[in-house]
Amino acid sequence: KCPDPKPKIQAANNFAIRSVRRQIGFQAKGLDRKFIHSRFCPVQTIRLPNDDGFYTCVKFLPGDQNIVAGADSGDIRIFNIHTGNEEASFSAHDSYVVHTEPSRDGQLLISSSTWGRPLSALWAMSNYEMKSSFENEEYMEFSKAIQDRLIGTKGEVATIYDVNTGVGVTMLVPTVSNQYTRNKATFSPNDDLVLSDGVLFDVSTGQQIHKLDKLNQTQSGVFHPNGLEIVSNTEVWDIRTFQLLKTVPVLNQSQVVFAPINSTIYAISLEQEDDEDPTFETSFKTVDASDYSSIATFDVKRNVYDLAINRFDSQIAIVENLGVYHAPQESVVRIYDVGRKRDDEDEQEEEDEEDANDM
Amino acid sequence: MAFHYVVTAHKPTAVTSCVTGNFTSSNDLNLIVAKNTRLEIYLVTPEGLRPIKEVGLYGKVAVMKLYRPQHEKKDFLFIVTMRYHAMILECVSDGDNLEIITKAHGNVADRIGKPSDTGIIAIIDPKARVIGLRLYDGLFKIIPLDKDNNELKASSIRMDELQVTDVEFLHGCANPTIVLIHQDVNGRHVKTHEISLRDKEFVKIPWRQDNVETEASMIIPVPSPLCGAIIVGQESILYHDGITSVAVAPPVIKQSTIICYARVDPGGLRYLLGDMAGHLFMLFLDVESRGDGADVVKDLKVELLGEISTPECITYLDNGVLYIGSRLGDSQLVKLNTKVDENGSYVTVMESFTNLAPIMDMCVVDLERQGQGQLVTCSGAYKEGSLRIIRNGIGIQEHASIDLPGIKGIWALTVASDGKQDNTLVLAFVGQTRVLSLNGEEVEETEILGIASDQQTFYCGNVIHEQIIQVTSISARLVSAQSKTLLAEWKPPTEKNISVVACNSEQIVVSTGADLYYIEIHPNELIMKGHKTMDVEVACLDISPIGENATSSQLVAVGLWTDISACILRLPDLSEVFKENLGGEIIPRSVLMACFEGHSYLLCALGDGSMFYFLLHKDSGALTDKKKVTLGTQPTALRTFKSLSTTNVFACSDRPTVIYSSNHKLVFSNVNMKEVNHMCSLNAEAYPDSLALATDTCVTIGTMDEIQKLHIRTVNLQESPRRIAYQEQSQTFGVLSVRMDIQDSTGLNPARPSASTMTQSVTVSSSVGSLSLGKSGVSGVSGANTAPEYGQEIEVHNLLIVDQHTFEVLHAHQLMQQEYAMSLISCQLGDDPNMYYIIGTAIVNPEESEPKQGRLLMFQWTDNKLIPISEKEIKGSCYSLAEFNGKLLASINSTVRLFEWTAEKELRLECSHFNNIIALYLKTKGDFVLVGDLMRSMTLLQYKTMEGSFEEIARDYNPNWMTTVEILDDDVFLGAENSFNIFVCQKDSAATTDDERLQMQEVGQFHVGDMINVFRHGSLVMQNLGETSTPTSGCVLFGTVGGAIGLVTQISSEFFDFLLEVQNRLSTVIKSVGKIEHSHWRSFHTDIKTEPCEGFIDGDLIESFLDLSSDKMKEVVDGLQLVGEGGMKQECTVDDLIKMVEDLTRIH
Repeated sequence: KCPDPKPKIQAANNFAIRSVRRQIGFQAKGLDRKFIHSRFCPVQTIRLPNDDGFYTCVKFLPGDQNIVAGADSGDIRIFNIHTGNEEASFSAHDSYVVHTEPSRDGQLLISSSTWGRPLSALWAMSNYEMKSSFENEEYMEFSKAIQDRLIGTKGEVATIYDVNTGVGVTMLVPTVSNQYTRNKATFSPNDDLVLSDGVLFDVSTGQQIHKLDKLNQTQSGVFHPNGLEIVSNTEVWDIRTFQLLKTVPVLNQSQVVFAPINSTIYAISLEQEDDEDPTFETSFKTVDASDYSSIATFDVKRNVYDLAINRFDSQIAIVENLGVYHAPQESVVRIYDVGRKRDDEDEQEEEDEEDANDM
Repeated sequence: MAFHYVVTAHKPTAVTSCVTGNFTSSNDLNLIVAKNTRLEIYLVTPEGLRPIKEVGLYGKVAVMKLYRPQHEKKDFLFIVTMRYHAMILECVSDGDNLEIITKAHGNVADRIGKPSDTGIIAIIDPKARVIGLRLYDGLFKIIPLDKDNNELKASSIRMDELQVTDVEFLHGCANPTIVLIHQDVNGRHVKTHEISLRDKEFVKIPWRQDNVETEASMIIPVPSPLCGAIIVGQESILYHDGITSVAVAPPVIKQSTIICYARVDPGGLRYLLGDMAGHLFMLFLDVESRGDGADVVKDLKVELLGEISTPECITYLDNGVLYIGSRLGDSQLVKLNTKVDENGSYVTVMESFTNLAPIMDMCVVDLERQGQGQLVTCSGAYKEGSLRIIRNGIGIQEHASIDLPGIKGIWALTVASDGKQDNTLVLAFVGQTRVLSLNGEEVEETEILGIASDQQTFYCGNVIHEQIIQVTSISARLVSAQSKTLLAEWKPPTEKNISVVACNSEQIVVSTGADLYYIEIHPNELIMKGHKTMDVEVACLDISPIGENATSSQLVAVGLWTDISACILRLPDLSEVFKENLGGEIIPRSVLMACFEGHSYLLCALGDGSMFYFLLHKDSGALTDKKKVTLGTQPTALRTFKSLSTTNVFACSDRPTVIYSSNHKLVFSNVNMKEVNHMCSLNAEAYPDSLALATDTCVTIGTMDEIQKLHIRTVNLQESPRRIAYQEQSQTFGVLSVRMDIQDSTGLNPARPSASTMTQSVTVSSSVGSLSLGKSGVSGVSGANTAPEYGQEIEVHNLLIVDQHTFEVLHAHQLMQQEYAMSLISCQLGDDPNMYYIIGTAIVNPEESEPKQGRLLMFQWTDNKLIPISEKEIKGSCYSLAEFNGKLLASINSTVRLFEWTAEKELRLECSHFNNIIALYLKTKGDFVLVGDLMRSMTLLQYKTMEGSFEEIARDYNPNWMTTVEILDDDVFLGAENSFNIFVCQKDSAATTDDERLQMQEVGQFHVGDMINVFRHGSLVMQNLGETSTPTSGCVLFGTVGGAIGLVTQISSEFFDFLLEVQNRLSTVIKSVGKIEHSHWRSFHTDIKTEPCEGFIDGDLIESFLDLSSDKMKEVVDGLQLVGEGGMKQECTVDDLIKMVEDLTRIH
């Protein structure tokens, strides 16, 4: 066999080359996005107003001004990103808030906690009053294309609720449970399918369509926003053929969050219950969402509990806690600019020194 | 709020697609060329290409295919736009009028899905049964063409192959069958799928071929009877039909990548291939008989035919003629010869079509100091690189010039000659007349016996019966053109002097004050045939024959003093048939009857440089459709002249203008001369098809360039120009350019001669330099000291110094290996009186994600030498430079840095700003700096003089990936981004909280449909020229990747509201080709959002009002209100709107 020819147009890894090519009309948006997602710069640190307790989860609120953060106390707090000031807070649950999600119009917020009743609740954001309560749902999220439904997870059972009434509509129970330890039922981007406990359900009929091979103990999986794939721990499945497309080792035991333009996956490690205390990784990873190639691993030097991306993928928020699981010494939500290098300030000092030396 | 008007001044010129077929009728051979959003339809004739129609689309053409529907005798056009609108178009001719009918249309986009990296592919089954679309990975869409359906609805078929490089339909298959190249972890493979149209799915795989060349990228389907497909790779070409497989690896194709093809004969034995280096190849299929009567492919042969423009697409027309569509250079019409020429080429270029694309950079200069800007662009790339000098108006090429002050009139004559060519110029001065004879290129003064030289001539010219007429203040003299003797003389019956005269070859009208006389020219005599006394004195006269081949006139046009009117009189009795009062206080100074494109006009120029024009009804003499235009500021004289067999009008004034007709509209195009007082056509032996133009001090003989609105001159560089800066003091341009060198056995050598290698004077930046390349972070710089691989192409960056008059490259300064020239300015710094060229560079290591080092280099061009003044090492790539309060502002990677120019001639860092991903663009105004970021839109900084630092004043938080920025005024900022949109941000100084002040408000957004590389303040037209009904303020020009030039200007909120109403009406009256909504097309559209257009008026749509028929115009203005004088609302008439839109067209 002859040696393969060398591609004549090589991918321009260096941005300076790309900037020239872009002017001629050869865009490389993919490479530009990779470049952006290899650099993060902290811009705002939001501490808890009182010292006891710690943050557990975070999301950006529509309007790009605020974040919503859950705490171990069951409180949900809203902060302004620019000032870092608390705008509002309310006591939502009796315990550790594991998850919150605002609706896209900013009117509603769903939250879930670890124990106490209700486990999950839907809040009106206008007055922070509970709209509906879901006593036993361990995890809940909105439907995707049209946010008129909620899906709750309790063990291997998924229940679809109507947002307005809070009434259960459909219950999706797998005939044989896969017994993933952290099952989170989720809608497909079109809302026509639900993935729960490793099983694909047809939403309109409530029937099972397919059971994915169980290749890990914890995660059932999430839909890729491109509608073609399911990412289940390290496995990438083709939705249409149910064939295994890829194995992505960097995603092992990671929660994956898709950036809004489907180009990038942010992955944070799930806590590992090794001995008695769960442990967290101090870094998050970015992965190209089109070919699953690894982009970067970014170490924040604190335990990463949760990560949220704003709607433009221009900022991320991370819950960073220092210390042991149940009693962190320090807990902050830190906002990062996506794409900016963090060492600008250091460089400035360095240069000032140099200039001083020069003179 | 800010309101803007955006309009295209020069349409895109980059060709993205071309097809040939019978589109306009079954007998016409057409070429259809797609240029971004425009389609140009040509008729292929033995004389060349004849443009017959231009169509604007509300979308950027992604794919264009011509196909022959079943049971049709002509072809239909299928188009898919970048935003997934699909359409089938038919051309229907209705007499002279060609109409494009949208047969079917639809949007074929999916809400979710991954758009393919290889872009949009659309293919049509050879039997026209089905259209195939590959838009998203893993999906193949089909649109069956079986029934008459005006909705294009695509059904999706799941395709196991995710990464498809190319796909085509195979010929000669019972059911539609596609062949595709796809890639998986093992390499690239060829596979076929038969489609069941009934079930809308793939039913079987007729054949496949795994593991073809890893760079195989193009499929050429072979027509019946051979069938099968040709797979073109980087180094090899494969033919496969499921049974036979023939592969060749001709060395000649290895140099570059083949990117397009054209089939030559319908049998499909010959194909033309074009590669990125501009080579044209012929691919032959060598066939042998299989024994059963059918042929089978035995071998493939490839031959290099010659060099063409870097092609984007090729189509074969007829008779060995092909059209080469180019995106990076001029498109071409070329002929293939059977015999090789002395350069070893079989290719002759028959015609070139100017292309400005891609416009990398540009500057606005006023080289001739006429108060009118010219653009000099860095255009094209690689071997097609060039500078283009673009000016509004018509160029006069000067051939000779004679110093003669005080000329009052000029005429060309044919005297004592058998030929038709002029050999004499008659010049009038106060109190005398001089005659110049043209003998070859020699000009000498002479005398003609019969011509009175002691009088000022008012008119002189050849007339019928080989005679010459001269009219002076005393008399009209008839002179023999052969013997030069006086044959007859006519004097006014009264003692009064002749004041005004007009003449054609058979008739004369003269006036003495208010008395008007009509005289006919006969052999050897002048016979007075009419007399009339007007109420007031005559100011100007015309008796030009109207209509083709007319030699005499039935009408006389008269401009009158005191009552300020224009009348039409009928000959011979000089009876008044029509009178038009012009109004105002300015006296008419020149009238002219002229015929353009079959319409007769009366032009009437006034003493203040303005001009009225009317439609003239030849039979009735009535004047209608009065319009006014401002041509100059001084009295204007109108003259007709011939240019390329059409008659045009030259308006002599302080701003000379050529008036011509295009698309049945009068167009006013100024001429690149400062002032012209008098002119005449001159067709002499040494000066054919020329003009003689008289100014205050001299006579110039010159030829006129092709009449078009924008005049473009090309300076070929044969390498890529990237940045340009003008330095008035040294009368030079600085140009950053890039050429390709190839490593061969003797080292690095230029790939071809180009601007930087052909100049006499070259200097080189020492490759050792002051840069310590071994420093931390750059240890990975490979190749800085090691030689590149054999055959590798290396970019070599240069600073070129170019003479502003001759555009000759005076000097080239070559940068170091791996050093990229990124930015360039010409400026003064601090108290230093010298003017410098400053370059910002980057040391580019392909392994790194961004440069870590670069340099700021300062040069002075003086005494034809380039003197290095200073060199400063920086920590990254300098993407942009600006002069800022006597200091040097540079954006270096993520930072914005200000350098002071010290008395010791060193650049010293004063302060920096860090809040960007990559600070790509800088613009400054006063103490303000506008920064354009890679992704984070725009930021406004203010320099605090006291603190010596930057403060961030406001920022746009939307994620816009910028391609350039501009400051419109203190509070309003313009940005362009990489999804082809522009937007306007406003600083909100009045906001109540700091938070709000820090956020810029996006107050305008608009989809341009082309990527803008550069914004420059400036204008292509004269500023503040007379009154206008359409006040605009400021003007920013932009240049695009597609070669378009456009402009953005501010308008008032009232005018905006009015134009918005007009725009809305136009968008319903004008039916868009392809049925795409105008509002959808102009909506701000990026990967993450689509929002309605806001704050911008689409000037292109507004201007299309002028192309409408009069009943459509009426439909548009019906009920339209306009704020008239005194703020009162009034009904807007068609004429009001025409006037306004015409005024708007004059801002570019």
